[in-house]
Amino acid sequence: MSAAVLGPERRAYLGLTAPALALLAIFFVLPLAQVLWLSVTDPRPGLQNYAELVSNPLILRIWTTTVRVCVVTTLVSVVLGYVVAYAMTRVSERHRGAMVLCIVVTFSFSILVRGFAFVVLLRSEGVLNSALQGLGLIGEPLRLLRNETGVVIGMVHYGLPVAILALFSNMRGINARYQDAARGLGASPFQAFRLVYLPLTKPGIISASILVFIYSLGFFIIPTLLGGGRVVMIAEYIRVGFEETLRWGHATMLSTSLLVAVLLVLAIMARVVDLKKVFGG
Amino acid sequence: MTLLKTVYEKDLYPEIADASQSEYGRDCLALASEKLGRGEIDRRSFVRLAAMLGALPLVAKGSAAHAAGPKEIVVVNWGGDSRPAYAKSFGDPFEAATGIKVAQDGTGPLPSKVRAMVQSGKVVWDLLDFDASKALVLDADGLLEPIDYTIVDKNKVYPGWAYRAGVAFYIYSCVLCFDSSKFPGAKPNSWADFWDVKKFPGQRAMRKTPEGQIEACMMAAGRSTKDVYPIDLELAVAKVRELKGNLIAWNTGSQSQDVLRNGEVTMCNLWHSRAASLFKESNGKFNWTWNQGLMNVDVWAVPKNNPAGREAAMKLIAFTQDPSRQVELLKILGNGPVNPAAAALVPEDVKRFDPTQPEHRAVQAELNADWWNAPSGKGDKTNDTLAREMWLDVLSA
Repeated sequence: MSAAVLGPERRAYLGLTAPALALLAIFFVLPLAQVLWLSVTDPRPGLQNYAELVSNPLILRIWTTTVRVCVVTTLVSVVLGYVVAYAMTRVSERHRGAMVLCIVVTFSFSILVRGFAFVVLLRSEGVLNSALQGLGLIGEPLRLLRNETGVVIGMVHYGLPVAILALFSNMRGINARYQDAARGLGASPFQAFRLVYLPLTKPGIISASILVFIYSLGFFIIPTLLGGGRVVMIAEYIRVGFEETLRWGHATMLSTSLLVAVLLVLAIMARVVDLKKVFGG
Repeated sequence: MTLLKTVYEKDLYPEIADASQSEYGRDCLALASEKLGRGEIDRRSFVRLAAMLGALPLVAKGSAAHAAGPKEIVVVNWGGDSRPAYAKSFGDPFEAATGIKVAQDGTGPLPSKVRAMVQSGKVVWDLLDFDASKALVLDADGLLEPIDYTIVDKNKVYPGWAYRAGVAFYIYSCVLCFDSSKFPGAKPNSWADFWDVKKFPGQRAMRKTPEGQIEACMMAAGRSTKDVYPIDLELAVAKVRELKGNLIAWNTGSQSQDVLRNGEVTMCNLWHSRAASLFKESNGKFNWTWNQGLMNVDVWAVPKNNPAGREAAMKLIAFTQDPSRQVELLKILGNGPVNPAAAALVPEDVKRFDPTQPEHRAVQAELNADWWNAPSGKGDKTNDTLAREMWLDVLSA
């Protein structure tokens, strides 16, 4: 498509995107290229950094932890989010507005504030454990911090609003009468849900899962704060390479592997669903 | 006393503020320098931004200025209490003596930033205050100026702590700190006790990074303070596995205190200055032992092509070697003086908190930064790199 065939109006619109594109090119594409470049040139040209991906069992273990934590986070977020999103389609307009507001507001809290709030809440002499012990429900305080449980709790808090919004936008387009029709034809409430509603929400479930999973992969602050050194995910290990051991080639190789992982997830999903729909295109 | 102020690039290079022609450009710079002050952006981004806004040639001008002698030396530390303490102990006196201002940047001398600065040729720091092992890592990459030992006096440093590109500035120890209220009988007194969860029940905390921790593992495994090195990393890792579910990791100095304060752990391997402040605030409920502590040093290092010039930086280093100034720093921050002449000048009531008193030195081990920087024999990794990987691995396994 050449500029000549574009009408003046479309050309004007394209022109309006130019500053944003230029910004992306300078502040995103260029540094990204630098990262890729470093990963094959530092400390010397070659693929030795990538060879470590296979030869160093530590990287594999860290990747396993990362994927495990992200999968659990995604599952919990999507299941919980499904219930909330479903409720949102069934309440009055006024209530729905309030619910959307509550969800959107959570995005505005700084991740550090949330992280530290969870530390206060979850630690062994923290609010939650004191309350449960006070009620006599538990004897010993639950270990909710400095392990994967803590990290998952913190990450779900981030993933949940994302999952809810993705699922809600899908569910909003489903006509509630389908279920009524199913009931009218003799299905039980559960059958109407399982056989009619659930399949209709499949695109929503998949898009919510992709979004939460990809979002979780690069998490840094939550695992660092709530994992207390006992849960090391890929982003933390990248930091070690940049800050502590100064092996930038190694760190950029890991960054690249993270990027590839994200693209891989998208590529696999692209075979299953229409990605344009997932991202609201 | 004039308190040292935070230095922004616009203070370093006053020309920058006038450089951009447009109101908007000036506002961009002003905004960026505010952000820099709040820590929202880093110095490197700031310099880049300044360059993009057309202020770059003036950055170069800054280096031309030092031909006539620098007006200012920028010291980088981690901020906080260090700032007023550094100002009082040597910053202000140096300015009074030489007319050269000592400005402090509390954003922290991250090695990655030093590397980025030196490699991009836009160095804005003069004097870095960090771990000896960091200096060795940076020096191996050719990013530091060698210390000029004709200006800086090697004899004013305990033996072994004057490196090619870093000279010790103060001593700190990794010590065993414990909650004495949890141990009514015998108190823990060695790393073997730290590992003995039967005799001394409760959780333990060690640092997330291996410095001072793998040494404790060695001593727990039976090595004496004199033969901690060479460290057997496999053995260190095995010792950590022994503690397994009873071990948590701390990340920042304040966390190392929190885990004791909130009762999460009964013992912690932490810095002596943190142990001392816990001891003071709790009237002795939290106590520590110097026995099998590990003395380590923070060094002064100078990045290659620092803006104030190598000589000025060396003069400031030499200035900080004065024993009475180091005792001053001990009194305010708890940092142990590195000049052997200082130990005798320490007031009686402060001696308890000084890692360098002869009776404390005698029972402690010393960190060997040369071991840390030596090749590990596995690939092209140094012991430092390998230790960090293995430590990370065992803590997270």
